[in-house]
Amino acid sequence: MYQPTCLLNTWVQENNELVKKWKVRSRAQTHLRWCSSEFYKLLRKTQGVPPHPDHVHLELSVVYNACVCATVQSQFTEAQLLLTQAIQRALQMTSDDPVAPDLPAFWRKVLRSVVNTAFNSCVLDLLCLQWAMWLATCQLKTIQEFKLSSLVETRGAGVGDDKRSEARGKTSDAPLLVTDPRRLVELLQICTSIAQGAERLSEDQSSEALSGLQKASSLPAPRTLVAYVHLLSGSCLSHMNCPQMALQCYRKALETDSCCVCALYQSMLIYRQLGNTQAEIQALRLLHSMLMLPSATVPALAGTHLFSPSLLLCSQSLSSLLLVPSALSVLHNLALKCALHGRVSEGVEHYLDLLAALHSEDQHGVRVYAEAPRLPRLPELYLEAGAALLMARRSADCMALCNEVISTTLELLPERLVLEDPEERSEAETRDVTAEGEDKMAMLLWAGAAYLLQGHCHTHLKDWKQAVNHFTRCINLLVKVRCKKTDMVVKQGSDLCVLQRLKGLSLAGRGIAFTQTNHLREALRDLLLSLQAFPECVGAGLWCGEVLWRLGRRQEAVACWEKTWSFTTQSSAEGLPLYLREPQSGPLLDSKELRHRIQELGPT
Amino acid sequence: MMEGSHSEELYRNPHLLSLSGKIIVFNHTPASCAKDGDRGESISHGHASFERASCRFLKAAPRAVAIGGMKTSAHVDIRCKCAVDVQRRVTTPCVLVTRRSEKGASFRYSLLTLSRSNRLEPCFEFTLPYEMKGSVLRGPTVLWSHAGHVFYTSLQAGEVRQRQIPLPLSHCVFGELPLHRGQVFVLGLHNECEDQTTSRVLGYMVESGQAFDGSVVLPLPYVGITRCMLVLSADKEDGALKVAAVAATSHQQLVYFQNGNVKDTCPLPFQLPEDIQLANTGRNGFLFVISFHQGHVCAVWKETFQIASCWSGVSSVHVDDFLGCGTDQILLFFRDGGVKGLPLDHFLITDLCGISYSHGQDTAAPKQTSPLPENNLLTLQALESRLQSGLTVLQELQREVRVKDRVVQQSVQALNDVSSGRELVLTPPEQEGLSALWDSDDESNDEASDDKTQDMPAVSSNPQIDKLWHRIAEDRIVVGVILMIDSSVPVASVSLSILTETGQSSTPAVIQTQSQVLWLPTPCPSSSSSASTLPEPAAKRCRQRIASTPNDLNTCRMAVTAVSRLTPLLNSGCVKCRVMLHYVQRQDAFSLLSSPTPVVLHCGQVAVDIRSDFQTQLLKNPKLKTDEVKEDLLCLLTVLDRWVFHIDSPDHSLGDIDGWIQKIVGCKRVDVSPQYLLFDSAGPSALILLGWRQITPFQGELSVHSSQLQMLKFLDSLLAYLPVSCSVQPVKDKNLPSVTHLCPC
Repeated sequence: MYQPTCLLNTWVQENNELVKKWKVRSRAQTHLRWCSSEFYKLLRKTQGVPPHPDHVHLELSVVYNACVCATVQSQFTEAQLLLTQAIQRALQMTSDDPVAPDLPAFWRKVLRSVVNTAFNSCVLDLLCLQWAMWLATCQLKTIQEFKLSSLVETRGAGVGDDKRSEARGKTSDAPLLVTDPRRLVELLQICTSIAQGAERLSEDQSSEALSGLQKASSLPAPRTLVAYVHLLSGSCLSHMNCPQMALQCYRKALETDSCCVCALYQSMLIYRQLGNTQAEIQALRLLHSMLMLPSATVPALAGTHLFSPSLLLCSQSLSSLLLVPSALSVLHNLALKCALHGRVSEGVEHYLDLLAALHSEDQHGVRVYAEAPRLPRLPELYLEAGAALLMARRSADCMALCNEVISTTLELLPERLVLEDPEERSEAETRDVTAEGEDKMAMLLWAGAAYLLQGHCHTHLKDWKQAVNHFTRCINLLVKVRCKKTDMVVKQGSDLCVLQRLKGLSLAGRGIAFTQTNHLREALRDLLLSLQAFPECVGAGLWCGEVLWRLGRRQEAVACWEKTWSFTTQSSAEGLPLYLREPQSGPLLDSKELRHRIQELGPT
Repeated sequence: MMEGSHSEELYRNPHLLSLSGKIIVFNHTPASCAKDGDRGESISHGHASFERASCRFLKAAPRAVAIGGMKTSAHVDIRCKCAVDVQRRVTTPCVLVTRRSEKGASFRYSLLTLSRSNRLEPCFEFTLPYEMKGSVLRGPTVLWSHAGHVFYTSLQAGEVRQRQIPLPLSHCVFGELPLHRGQVFVLGLHNECEDQTTSRVLGYMVESGQAFDGSVVLPLPYVGITRCMLVLSADKEDGALKVAAVAATSHQQLVYFQNGNVKDTCPLPFQLPEDIQLANTGRNGFLFVISFHQGHVCAVWKETFQIASCWSGVSSVHVDDFLGCGTDQILLFFRDGGVKGLPLDHFLITDLCGISYSHGQDTAAPKQTSPLPENNLLTLQALESRLQSGLTVLQELQREVRVKDRVVQQSVQALNDVSSGRELVLTPPEQEGLSALWDSDDESNDEASDDKTQDMPAVSSNPQIDKLWHRIAEDRIVVGVILMIDSSVPVASVSLSILTETGQSSTPAVIQTQSQVLWLPTPCPSSSSSASTLPEPAAKRCRQRIASTPNDLNTCRMAVTAVSRLTPLLNSGCVKCRVMLHYVQRQDAFSLLSSPTPVVLHCGQVAVDIRSDFQTQLLKNPKLKTDEVKEDLLCLLTVLDRWVFHIDSPDHSLGDIDGWIQKIVGCKRVDVSPQYLLFDSAGPSALILLGWRQITPFQGELSVHSSQLQMLKFLDSLLAYLPVSCSVQPVKDKNLPSVTHLCPC
């Protein structure tokens, strides 16, 4: 009986038993932890005796297994320590002591000294783990400098595998490994390509990124990752101003992996960029239904690989590329697009779905990928839905929604409010105070908008008295706000802008209602005030002309109309909430007829 | 008064032993310090027992024994240990006294034992010319090693014997095997030859003089690094020794061995272990108490093999039942940290599970270092894993309930529908909306139609024979013709036959042959080799070909081959054969009624030359693009068996299979027909022709032309390369290949 082999055989058996047990159910976390501690135990045994050449293969295999366990559990420092210590111990036999200032230098020395030894392949396997750790800790530069892909290429291509199977033929008890190093190399190669692609893309090196990704597309890889490669290629092309080619890539990504929602999202963004509204709406609709699929919530690759791509692909630039807004946010976008682009009834349905989804207590099936573009706050959604309902001529429903907003805000409305210039507000000022002020302001604006919408509803129903009533309530609310400074700049989207717009729209609405009831003086006053608050208001401009015309001030009327026609209609309205747009539902003036009147009037 | 001062002296620098719950104290009193003349050099001894009530050790009056003999000894060293006295069958405290002669040339060793009557009696004495550190073991026996040999002295049968163990051993470890007759043994490395590699572990029973395989106690790598060991149990079963032992190694580990196998290891917090003792704490199990150099002590649970506690600054550690409660406790005497107290005043008695008495310690609480954080961590991990497994079980149950609920609901729904006569409407999967957006162009369709047009035979009045050739492959002959056929007249059932032509008999004999038909592309002069490297869509290639041969639209080329055994030809002594072409011609391709007319055409003669080598041009250089190489390829395609496999990998892309075949398998591309890759390592039996066609990144088709064994070998290595979830299906009922991509020259 030859002693070292006996002990060695026992340990090899122990290792192999563990590997087999590991493979039975490698996915359970507890099992993983158990295996990890068992491998550590075995490693202690094997490292408890002086280093022996016959033991090196086993020892490094056990180190590999223990390291894989640690890495998979994201215990990188432990794994790193294990790795370097084990290699130093193995190299004690070649009487080399690789002391190096940093890890890459250490590995270079190690590789040089083991190049012709029997355990070269074992060390290369461990190098792959080092690669995995570098990748998981986003040290792409090191990986690149080290040229890891070419270093371990032979293992990836299966050369070592042949040797291994030969060895297996000779002795049935070669130490087993928990993962096939070749598969690991394959995964590392594709993941590195993807991470590098994302990195270059974020550094605006799209063409370099693209060529790298093209090379990667022929690598053997899990379906999800192939889809990522196509997706990233698409992003590169879109950065290089090739939207159509980008769309092709996104299509390929989606064909490869039907769960690749971000490809669909990116396609939608391209359609938006191209101004192809119908395709954008279609893509949004698909995106929403995909996000609602329960299968989309399960990460597709959880079990197939020990090393999950999420472990290896953790770079910030990639995750920002893979970001997809939540189903609700997509639904809101869809509803808004529909309402804006002539699909009002569809838009209304989507808005109602959205509100229902927000109300349902258990939001199962709603995936929160990331709330990248935040949903507007609930009252705003109500108001938008109300505006959409009004557009669809469902004024009763619109009024109900507005009542909802008013009833929730009414009690909280301030008596007086001072609007400060956001430019002047210093950083030092306490945040909560301003936040509270902003909240009050928002509340007031919501209530105002709700009254405005109700006024429009009554206008639509030709109930002029009620319309005047509601517009007046809106105006009464709005005048509670005092500006701190008189010469504040009206910036798009700011509270002041919304305030002015509300003021303009409500005065215009009331003016038009007065016109209908033949209170021409009141009407003229309101319409002029409206134009003062919101000069681009088309309705106010046209009706103001009409009132002037009726009052016999025809030249003024003509000037007023001509000035109004010179406005670029709705140019500034794109970014505004739906409820702040000029309604198309009120009494209309036919421009043709007006021009006819001007012609009849003749040159002055 | 005298007694008191004497007692203080004894306890000042003591050697301690524990026996039956008592502490026995030895001390050596040098002659010089004796004040009165009658008192020479002596060893004093006394004992102390623990009193619970006062939490102190009560000391009994010491006695002194003179150890004369040598007039003056330069240096005296004493070591004490408890050992079994074989003759008296009791455990006896033993003291080994070493005295060095003044010149340092000889050493006198005497072993004293403490008798029942509390008298220190000399056991035996011996002199050595060198100094040694002997171990006192059962017998009492003194063992030591010197210059690669092991010696022992014991009092056996009333005489002192000093022996040398007959085998040279290095790295010795001494111990006792708790067999029914306790056996003192020596373990060591024994070199059979001079070179280091063949050393093995040898054990030697001192009492019986038997040698045994020491690896049942300690495996070879551990012998050199073991600093101390303790055998826990030993049994002889069917003559084989079964031993459980623990050893503390210089690699800072406590290792548990069972029959020479490492059962468990525990990393030790200190270096230089010196002794291992076993403490039985009763219900709480056993503790290993390991004492280290420089006063460190560490206790390890036997069950979990985890560190229970550690102490430092310990002067001596003892395991015994000091409290008289039936189980063992650990007694630690601490060094006097500058405090002028008596050494026995500073101690801790504990069993680490409830019992704790201490005295003279800084804090009232037992100075018990908290268990290593690692232990807490392990407990936490265990708890956490229990929690998690419980949670997963719960989740699984919940999932199951949900599924069941759904099934029940659907069943109820279906039942309702059936009873109310409604038809069950299944909602289409939501993904369907997806496919509507994209219009997928199906390339495989194009290709299929492409193939179809090519397979459609063309009509000709008379096939025109382009070339007749033959090859000899091992014991077979392959004859082939290349035909030009007018595609307006379809031909069918094309085959070749070989006729022998002998001088003696006038009737020629037909030799049994197997024919194959391969379609060739019509020659196009402008073809370039670039097509071989750049894989283009099939449709594109097809168009190119048609465009390049506008004149020959209705002619097509066809290779017909026949393979036959060489032996009948050789038997008939024929060197020349006629080759006949058979085919059936139909004037109207679409009229099934018209009767086909079989036609036989004489193609020419071939001369059989058996010396012709199989090492053809193709095998020598697959890069060549001559007619000859083309014929070689056709010959190979005829001779070799053919398999087609469909490879499908649903969730992992296949990668560069073509590159793998070339790079790793070492195949070379056949330039005459770039779809084929040739692997030729040694002789025709190992020949493989491979064709790989990638359909999608996840699917491909592999055709293998080779012997069955080679095909299986290749598939085996391919499977190791392919993703695990890959499926390889043989394609059945596939039409014979048309060599569509054979490059015309």
